[in-house]
Amino acid sequence: MIDTTLPAQDAGESPQAAEVLLRVESISKAFGPTRAIRDASLEVRPGEVLALVGENGSGKSTLVKILAGVHQPDAGRLYVGGTAVSGLSSPRDARVHGIATVFQEVLVAEARSVLDNVWLGIGGIRGRVSRAEKARLAREVLTDLLGAAPDLSTPVEELSLSDRQACGIARALLAKPKVLILDEATSALDVEMRDRLFVQVRRLTSEGAGVIFITHRMDEVAELGDRVTVMRSGVTVGHLPRAEATLSTLVKLMTGNENAQRHIRGERAARVAGDPYLTAEDMVLRPGGAPFDVEIRGGEILGLAGLEGHGAETFLDALRGVKIVSGKVVRHTESGAVRVTSTKAAARQGIAFVPRERGHAVFRWMSIRENFGMPTLRADTRAGILSPKRTRGRLEDYVDRLKIVLGDPENRITTLSGGNQQKVVVARWLAAGPRVLLLNDPTRGIDINAKNDLYRLLAELAADGLAVVMLSTEVDEQIELMDRVLVFREGTVTRTFRGGTLTREALVGAYFGEDPAEVATLQSVASETDTDTDRAAR
Amino acid sequence: MTTTDTTPRQLRSAGRGGGQWLLRVLKRYSFMFALALFVIFFVITLIQSGGRISLANQLANLAPTAIAAMACAPAIISGRGGFDLSISPTMVLTAGLYAGVFVLHGIDGPFAIVLMLVVGAGIGLINGLLIVGIRIPPVVATLSMYFVLIGVNLELIPAPISLIGSPLEMFGGSLGPIPGALITLAFPLVVWGLLGLTPYRSLLFAVGSNDITAYSAGVRVGLVRIGAYTLGGLFAGVAGVAIIAVSHSANANLSATYALPAVAAVALGGTSLLGGRGGLFGPVLGAASIFLLANILVSFQVNPSWLQVIYGVMLMISVVLVSFASRATSGVVK
Repeated sequence: MIDTTLPAQDAGESPQAAEVLLRVESISKAFGPTRAIRDASLEVRPGEVLALVGENGSGKSTLVKILAGVHQPDAGRLYVGGTAVSGLSSPRDARVHGIATVFQEVLVAEARSVLDNVWLGIGGIRGRVSRAEKARLAREVLTDLLGAAPDLSTPVEELSLSDRQACGIARALLAKPKVLILDEATSALDVEMRDRLFVQVRRLTSEGAGVIFITHRMDEVAELGDRVTVMRSGVTVGHLPRAEATLSTLVKLMTGNENAQRHIRGERAARVAGDPYLTAEDMVLRPGGAPFDVEIRGGEILGLAGLEGHGAETFLDALRGVKIVSGKVVRHTESGAVRVTSTKAAARQGIAFVPRERGHAVFRWMSIRENFGMPTLRADTRAGILSPKRTRGRLEDYVDRLKIVLGDPENRITTLSGGNQQKVVVARWLAAGPRVLLLNDPTRGIDINAKNDLYRLLAELAADGLAVVMLSTEVDEQIELMDRVLVFREGTVTRTFRGGTLTREALVGAYFGEDPAEVATLQSVASETDTDTDRAAR
Repeated sequence: MTTTDTTPRQLRSAGRGGGQWLLRVLKRYSFMFALALFVIFFVITLIQSGGRISLANQLANLAPTAIAAMACAPAIISGRGGFDLSISPTMVLTAGLYAGVFVLHGIDGPFAIVLMLVVGAGIGLINGLLIVGIRIPPVVATLSMYFVLIGVNLELIPAPISLIGSPLEMFGGSLGPIPGALITLAFPLVVWGLLGLTPYRSLLFAVGSNDITAYSAGVRVGLVRIGAYTLGGLFAGVAGVAIIAVSHSANANLSATYALPAVAAVALGGTSLLGGRGGLFGPVLGAASIFLLANILVSFQVNPSWLQVIYGVMLMISVVLVSFASRATSGVVK
């Protein structure tokens, strides 16, 4: 487990060890073969806000869950208030140690009242507090967050998402934490409430607490963070004071200097974008989002990129006929234009979709053949009688083309590796003869060889004139594979990159809203907020 | 969404209007449908009998099923498919232990009752430990317990045991002006009310509503769930007392009798089987409605086979109403 002995250099090196509220040293955590955190260290001092930033999958959330007591680290040291603790065994344990966490997900007990929700789990720790006192404190905290006194007896499920999250935040504030962790807690809040939250955070730090603040918004980092810790691939790669944390420095740290191998580029040159197959007009992905248009042509691979929850997934769903706020998806064929209004209509119009979770796409208890043939069984029936032999025959073609490694097609699909399962799923949809192929992060969790096979296949398909739209969370994939990359941010397309001109830094910078004009305003925001927060503290 | 800080506001709610109000009331107080049924059936019963009903007798007959229904509630409220199928045989077990063991060994009166409650709670505790500790799905764990207890009951009471002059009979008759069954019926309600003064009941509802939230807020979710099953077992022990009180006997063949009526009463009472909402009033009102309806139909000489059909339809209407109210008043559009 965790080494609980104090490191020898500790006494000499940090005389104010007692002043550090929370210190994490070289923590690591693996889930099976995935090393979510390889080497993470950070420290939170009284009265400061530590902003923790990093790309998708850099390990921020896992680190937060370790500090919240949800996960236990595999190795490393943890100090709370200067004393070593052998891991936080449960969220309750974390609370006892004075660490309160607001998670990214809005966590409320839906059927319970506002009052019950804000006091959930903390009555026992703070000892006996009378109901009237609880109501008074709850009203006080919620008024600070919401700007007005709420009805404490309302069931939380009748509230808006933003107000629900306020209840979750109030719960953490009422615990009077020594360390408050806000894990992307602002994404569910509306703007005014976010401002009021920041005032509360400042009040908390002025009382000597420390705050860890995770956000994807660089303006929030500039506004609130006293120091910034950057994570990349499970490693904390930098600790910067705010003054040094310019957007470009942060983006450099987040992306690193690794240069991707360029191995698919040559094939891309051979492809020429053809006629528009699918157009999306006046798309609004979330209420108040800026509308945008996209044209998708046959023969191109279009990448959808951006931070999670910024709209790429919603857009992909819209293309396959899922209803969104507003917008028009039209499929253009030789015989005319047809609006895509439902997933069924999309399938009829030759739009195939490969979902993200393999678990959703695979029938675990069925054979490889059955998994392949499921939606296209009609092709293998004569007078209603199914011929498995015919399905096997069709599967053969794809086994060669996709380099699917399998023994007997009658074996269960789960006997295959993840990569091969994914190929069978792709083959299933290709067998339906689509003209547009939508994929949601198809290479997630599959090995490099299977990835390369899939890349090659997609390139071939595009060369054959198919329109391929692929959401990918891998930056390298966007750079290597795509002819065009749309970057989604705040529910709209903020940047479009042409394949071949793209660098990791430019792409990740765009994820975080970097463009020359914005950087300039951010820096002015950063200098202004100093005075703002001073005012708030007073 | 803009609000100014100068004007006080309510937390934003999903929608307003008369229909919304009714739905919201129905959702928050999901026993409303059962209450309406109860009032209607009660009035019919009063008119029909010309006001001459033996309250003590009627309550005593109602008590076992009504208490069984209340005993089902905590497990259901605790969420994640929480359910206790073994309530009915637990009731018969405690009655059987009383009639077949305690009385023979000279244990009677209050001490015997306490033992019955302890046995009931003990069985609930075992259920809770199986479900929380070994993570056996609640229906499977309590179904296993159901079969085990039915077998134990048959072994314990091979032939029905009749009792004469048991002190427990007072819970089937009258204590002065007070119907005795009111005491057994009130016991779970009082315990439930007292729990309302402690954090436990809030925690139970919170765990049932969203256990991930509760866990992340530092609630010991497992302990809360074990407590729910133990509480249900405790109430089953009280129902055992009610069985002795009304029938003056213990009969192993009745081990499964109360299982399905209790479930029907719980559902009719508007308790969400998803957990996190409801209480004990719903089950009691549900049980009372079914009980009164049965009496009414019998006195109108309706064919008993129709009785089952009417139960079924009533149950469906109740469940549909509650789920409709639930969907229509949610604050977040999914």
